[in-house]
Amino acid sequence: MKKGIIITLPRHDDVTEYLSVFSKEILEIAESNNILCRKLFDKEANKENFERVINKTNHKLIVFNGHGTENSICGYADEPIVKEKANEQILSDKITYARTCDSASSLGHASMQNNKGGCFIGYSLPFQFYCDETWKGNPAKDPVAPLFLEPSNLIPISIIKGRTTSEAHFSSKKAILKNMKKALRRADSDSLAIAEALWNNYYGQTLIGNKKAEL
Amino acid sequence: MREKENSKKIEINEEMKELVIARVEAQVPSNLSLSIGNFGRMSKAKMLEHIRKGDGIGKKIIESHIRFLRAQSSGEVTRALVSVG
Repeated sequence: MKKGIIITLPRHDDVTEYLSVFSKEILEIAESNNILCRKLFDKEANKENFERVINKTNHKLIVFNGHGTENSICGYADEPIVKEKANEQILSDKITYARTCDSASSLGHASMQNNKGGCFIGYSLPFQFYCDETWKGNPAKDPVAPLFLEPSNLIPISIIKGRTTSEAHFSSKKAILKNMKKALRRADSDSLAIAEALWNNYYGQTLIGNKKAEL
Repeated sequence: MREKENSKKIEINEEMKELVIARVEAQVPSNLSLSIGNFGRMSKAKMLEHIRKGDGIGKKIIESHIRFLRAQSSGEVTRALVSVG
């Protein structure tokens, strides 16, 4: 299987805009590690396109940015790209990181039921992050959102750099805890709110399937 | 793995709601907005509105706070933070 990544970047609302902007770090590291990268921007992030691209490229690492439910991962305009009892088997031999809400609750398990060496890392709770409204028009300069999105980025970044899925998962969780400590030590007016939301992501981040999967 | 997911469900009562309202009022500065679930970004005022209504997103916010409080009081948060040195 070629070393490649497929990443969805829907950008249809504020949340997906933020996720897509902060995915730039993942893309840069993929490029510098000579990993082929197929990006599905905006309306390209739909079910038909995703299935076509995955069948054509056979890239192993899949990164979903978007909204989700317990049974689905969504793309542009919140239309499902992968849905339980529809096409979840498409992920069975892939390393999937779903930066979406809730999809590890049920879809993640279903996709790994007839596991062909694949792994699913996602969240069994709604993924949360705070933003500083001051930087609404320029997410890249937001000082708060990185506290949440950089640990999250560590999952695909670690895998791109050759780590196993288990190592990536635990690196990310460790980074979340470090940011919690950083926030709490500052003892600013937002510290407790940030720590609580980070804990939500730490608690909800779940690995299902092959812990030793590598790109 | 599924057992942990079952333990994520929290029965919400009025006392919890009032507690979380007080926490959000005290701990969330007005320059921050929260992205949670499929509900987009919410200002502090919107968070409080949803919590008071007790709708789907309000319940998610309450659950998140209560989960954190329980983890703090059981020592789980401290143990996790200490583990990273």
